Amino acid sequence: MSSLLQYFVNGLVFSSIIVLGSVGLSIVYSIADFANFAHGDTLTIGAYGALVALPTLSGIGGELLGLPLGFYGALLVGMALAAAVAVATELVIYRPLDTDAIGMLITSIGVAFVYRAVLQAGFGADFRSYGIERSGPIPGIESALGVTITERSVVMVVCALVLVVGLHALLQYTTLGRKMRAMSDNPELARVSGIRTDRVLLATWVVGAALAGAGGVFLGLSSSIDPRTGFDLLLVIFAAVILGGIGSVYGAMAGGFAIGMVHEFTPGLTEVGIPIGTDYATAVAFVIMVIILLVRPSGIAGREPT
Amino acid sequence: MSDDDPKRAADSGDDAPTRPAGSGEDEPQTGAKSGGGARSGGDAADADGSPIAAAREADSLRGAAGALVGGLTTAERNVASALGAFIALLLLFTAAGVINPTYLLYLLSLAGMYLLLSMGLNVQWGYTGLINFSVAAFFGLGAYGAALVTSSDAPITIAASPLLGLVAGLSLAGILAVLIGIPTLSLRADYLAIASLGLAEVVRLIINNEGQWTGGAVGLSGIPRFYENWPVLGDLARGTPTAAANLALVSVFVVATYLFLRRIHRSPWGRVQRTIRADEDLAKALGKDTFRFKMESFVVGSLVMALAGVFFAHLQLYLAPTSLLPTQTFYVWIAVILGGTGSDRGAMFGGFVIIAIREGTRFVGGSLPIDAGPLRLFLIGLIIILVIRYRPEGLLPPQRELVWPGASSSQADGGDGQ
Repeated sequence: MSSLLQYFVNGLVFSSIIVLGSVGLSIVYSIADFANFAHGDTLTIGAYGALVALPTLSGIGGELLGLPLGFYGALLVGMALAAAVAVATELVIYRPLDTDAIGMLITSIGVAFVYRAVLQAGFGADFRSYGIERSGPIPGIESALGVTITERSVVMVVCALVLVVGLHALLQYTTLGRKMRAMSDNPELARVSGIRTDRVLLATWVVGAALAGAGGVFLGLSSSIDPRTGFDLLLVIFAAVILGGIGSVYGAMAGGFAIGMVHEFTPGLTEVGIPIGTDYATAVAFVIMVIILLVRPSGIAGREPT
Repeated sequence: MSDDDPKRAADSGDDAPTRPAGSGEDEPQTGAKSGGGARSGGDAADADGSPIAAAREADSLRGAAGALVGGLTTAERNVASALGAFIALLLLFTAAGVINPTYLLYLLSLAGMYLLLSMGLNVQWGYTGLINFSVAAFFGLGAYGAALVTSSDAPITIAASPLLGLVAGLSLAGILAVLIGIPTLSLRADYLAIASLGLAEVVRLIINNEGQWTGGAVGLSGIPRFYENWPVLGDLARGTPTAAANLALVSVFVVATYLFLRRIHRSPWGRVQRTIRADEDLAKALGKDTFRFKMESFVVGSLVMALAGVFFAHLQLYLAPTSLLPTQTFYVWIAVILGGTGSDRGAMFGGFVIIAIREGTRFVGGSLPIDAGPLRLFLIGLIIILVIRYRPEGLLPPQRELVWPGASSSQADGGDGQ
């Protein structure tokens, strides 16, 4: 029982990373209208942004939820860097293109490789970690429930929640959010009704990439990072987006949660007699994705695929 | 059929010398003869009463020579001269002793292998418009299928004949292509892109982790050469003779595949594929079962990729899961989009570009502040972006190769050409 609960906790933590990634991917998918294969590497950029900022910011005193305040500063730096890189990419590479969604998709692969090449040239291909001191599990919970919960997992889940709720508020209650939703529904109609679609598109990149950047920073916080980290996660994120339904932000939240849970429950499969090791957690996400494509290609919350 | 166009004849004649180099090991005299003989070459052979197969081969080789660089556009001239210069440079280096002749032959064999991969992807993406990001997986299945069946060090030793390995590799890839095609091919194009990228990772994971069947991350050695027990070829000395035999083998694969693909591309089947690429709804409205056609294209392309994998296993004699990394897939993508989507000539050009990137970075790498690995990644990414930005149709977009020989000038129905 306690191991199940432990998987659930791990799933919650991993889900918060996947949700941040999949929501950002989904919002770009629905508004910029192509599958952005560079999204995984945007995560990595965020992670490395925080890595660079941490030494300078660690001087800031004070703690919040057991982590130094400097970490939160680094988180913001990572998000900002990811957003800035995404906006620059949009302006320099995507916008001048005269191509369809498929051409954009292929270009985004090229972008992903360039991102990764730059990171690898700058930081090497080795694993890096943030070097924030680990504080160990929170004592009270461990003795009461037999579940290991560290402070940093609490931070990750809380931050992810804050960001997702913030996105929800942005989409539902602000003018920008309404414009974004209008554009995702029907870009032409949005443009003739006077929405400056190119500005909304930039805002979309900022939001999507910043969320991905946050996901990347949390990834770095929970384990270590290397230039391939984000690309390796891309498949899992895509599985979440397809499970939720391409283009649906709320679907992506649900899909990210579900895929993150499944990913972390994979070790439990061995215990109930299904011999699938943890090495195959990614493969399990893939299989779920294929099943969804067979049974309900529009996903949990998606519109009919066209 | 009597369309002896002197201009074309002159062109193919001129270009004949580059042709053997372009596709590997073909005997120069074939290229020269067919090129010089111009359009009537194939017909003449037919009239002589030689076997039909021979006539068709001569005809096709002549067509291949013409199709490779027989065009008149500046792009084609530039590409041809660039290729010529590249090969001349390689030969020069070899003559000067910088490049070992065995290594040169190895490089050309590798170029031939990438050419096969590019032609396979070209069937899927170029003909039909299917985005397959799992080139590495089909390549890897072909390679591992062949290796596991033939290797003397395989965890489950079968050590069968390489021909059996060829069958095994191709079957594995074919089955997997059908399995991945079923859920994705009836959906929007980007689903296949996502699912195939995932598939490639899963295949690599399985090969990496199931050491008891595949040798795992350590890799698999003890693979025999393809022509191990053949009469003459099997007894070749190591070094240059073996390398030459490998090059000959891949040349046979390439020529056979090229002729087969050109034949099906020009057939009604190929026309339906191009219609699907241009407008799938139109193809449906014409009563075509587009799912079936897409599946066929996907499987055919995957088989060609697996063939490249089989060759690779017998070229390297050692296999590791690192050969299945996604980078491999995107090398091939560059070759196809740079060469010209839908153009098999373009794919040939692309094969050499890959070699230039792969091996070129190794030479240059030492003198630059950036390592070879990231430099390669960067070049792959940059080339993809630049091609889509400035030349989305590729350097050698398909032209006459879609038209039956003779149809373009003497008959009015050249309509299915681009």
